[in-house]
Formats: sequence, structure tokens, C-alpha cells
Amino acid sequence: MDRINKNRRKFFQTSAALVGGTVFYSLIKPFEAKAVEANQTELDPELPLWGMGVDIEKCIGCGKCAEACKVENKVPAEPFYFRTWVEQYTIKKDGEVKIESPNGAIGGLEQSVENEDIFKSFNVPKLCNHCTKAPCVQACPVGATYVSPDGVVLVDESYCIGCRYCIQACPYGARYIHPEKQVVDKCTFCYHRINEGLLPACVEVCPTEARIFGDLRDKSSKLVKFMQKNPTQVLKPHLNTHSRVFYNGLSSEVK
Amino acid sequence: MGKLIFRLVLSFLVFVGVFMLIQDYLTPESFGKYGHYRANSLDDNKKIIPQFKGEDACASCHEDIYEKKSETVSFDDDEYILHSNLKCETCHSPKIDARTECKIKPPKLESTRKMCGQCHSINASRKNKIKMIDMSDHNTEKNCVECHNPHNPWIE
Repeated sequence: MDRINKNRRKFFQTSAALVGGTVFYSLIKPFEAKAVEANQTELDPELPLWGMGVDIEKCIGCGKCAEACKVENKVPAEPFYFRTWVEQYTIKKDGEVKIESPNGAIGGLEQSVENEDIFKSFNVPKLCNHCTKAPCVQACPVGATYVSPDGVVLVDESYCIGCRYCIQACPYGARYIHPEKQVVDKCTFCYHRINEGLLPACVEVCPTEARIFGDLRDKSSKLVKFMQKNPTQVLKPHLNTHSRVFYNGLSSEVK
Repeated sequence: MGKLIFRLVLSFLVFVGVFMLIQDYLTPESFGKYGHYRANSLDDNKKIIPQFKGEDACASCHEDIYEKKSETVSFDDDEYILHSNLKCETCHSPKIDARTECKIKPPKLESTRKMCGQCHSINASRKNKIKMIDMSDHNTEKNCVECHNPHNPWIE
């Protein structure tokens, strides 16, 4: 008899603890959700949502954009450091794809394949895709890179520890370590310019208007018009990065 | 027993207190205002002074050149825009601070054959997008600007 009573008491105690624990957890759950929310991207619907359109059908591979970017943002002149660059894709008649970007296209791209061997050739400007769900932001261990309220992926130079995790995380290869500052550096959509009402330097100098910059929330902006007129795609959509650089005329060969 | 628990709770509280003090000391100002980052960093990123001033800034002094550039050319009943949709700074990259130094040391364009070839040399990737010139054949001994005014290049 004695033993049964003890077991019963234990059973009730365990049950009460379980029920109590569940109730307590459901009470703190809303706070937990808030704590997680604080670590996620917060876009301000009152502010613009910046994006860029790239028209591959217009790009001539002159490299003026890459050149201007280096001047504007004081990117080191060596050919390993780029915030933006242009890749030349040449598909030969035998199906081979040749991708080149000597010095990021600065000084103009030249064709290295004989004319009669070319099936088609086109130039693809590349830059940070300013993902809404940016893998680099998730990888940063100190909160030195983030998506700004107006949707630009920025770096906090004074806070970056130069660990290079974000460089590994970026699927677009858009980041590099600045050799003098020893912190990560990347395209900012020329954040200092767009906040003054100017265009990013690459967009400003593009001679064929192959780059279109604008506010995705403003339905009359140049960028939105470009996206209405052309079927646009983002790079590597399967990665679910929700990037905001939209390409027109993107071939499946482009990586 | 009660004393032991009291000590335990007290040391726990002290630990939490010290942790919060250190955290408060180490967390920079404005961290977490908009998200998991330093909100003041937005201003740091805005602070940089633009190098490229935009076409309006150029036109405010060089109106004559700007107008010449904006003219269209009629040829074969078609209107050609030629260089009119090029921005000034596409070719005149700001190597100087134009606001103060423009008159003291005007920027020079060098080697225009190479410069024009950057856009106009033959390349299969430029097909149907731009007028292409065979640079190894087209008046090789001359500089482009001797015949073409880059602010309004004629066509023939």
C-alpha cells in the first residue's frame, strides 16, 4: 500500500511539473520571439528600398563602371580588389564557355576568341547583390555588417574584426579584405551619394545606361519601369537570398 | 541550509550584475537601435565626400559644352543621339577636385585612341549595341579627336 501511494504522489508531481513548465514556457514565448526578431533585418517601409537593374543587352564591357567605382570609393588599384567588375562570357560554337575579366574590365574588355568560333558573347556587370536575406550578415559574428533600413548591405568599418567569415558566406564573391584597413570592404550602392540625391558612381558613368538605379517602392522610378518592361532575374535565385540586383537578358551560363 | 542557498543566490546575482556592467561598458553607443548593429555606422557610411559631382555640377560652368553634347544629329532621316546620353564624367573622370582646382590645373585626356577604343574597338560582345571601329585599320596614325569632336562626333 505504502509503495503505491508514493508512486502516485510522484506521478502527480511529475505531471504538475510538466503542465506548469508548459504554461510557463507559453508565457515567455512572446518575449523569445521578440528577442529573435531583434536580430533580423528591419526594413523601414517609410524609407526607399534601393535596388539596381542591369541590362546585359546594353553592356558593352568598357569597364568605365569598375574604374569609376575605384575612384569614388578609393578601392586599391591592384587588380585583386573590386567592388564591381564586368565579366565577359564567350560561348564558342563547340559549346565551351569562356569567362574572362582581366583587371575587372578596367580599360575595356577585349575579345580573345576568334570571331568565327564565337556562338555568342556578352558582358555581365557584377556587384554586391544587396540581399534582403543576406548570408554575409548572418555569418558576421560581431554585427559589423547589416542590412540598413533602406535595404543596403553595409559594413561597419570601426567594428569589423576582419575574420573573413562574410567573404566565405557571400555567394556572389562581392567582398574583399581592404589591404590597408584590414577590414572587409564591399559595394555600398555608393551610400554617401544616394543619400545626397546622386546616382551611384557606376550608374553615373555608364555610357549605354546598362545600369539602372532606383527605389523599388516608388512605382514611377526608372528601376521599376525597367522591371515592368523587361523580364528580369536575380543571380542564384535557388539560394533564396532575395537579392535586389535584377538582370535583363541573363543567360543560363552566367554563374 | 538557508544560509547556503542565500549565498548561492547572492553570488549568482553578483555574477549577473558584473556581467551586465561589462556588457554595458563594451556595447557601443547606438548598438541595436535598428537591429543587431551600430546605428551610428549608417552616418559613418554617409559621411564620405562624393568624387563624381554629376552632370548638373559640370553644366553650371561649362554650359556651352553641355549644350553641344546634348544636340542630336540627323542622318538618313534618323535622329542619332551619339554621345548625348553620355555623362560628362564618363570620360572626364574626377582626377582633381573640380570645385577648387578646375581652373588651376584643368584635367587632360590622354591617348584618345586607347580611350575611344575602350568602347568602340571591335568585340563580338558589343555587336548591335554600339558603333564599332577596327582600331588596327582605321586611320592608325591619327588621333581620334583630330577628326571627331567627342562632344558631338559626326557620322559618315
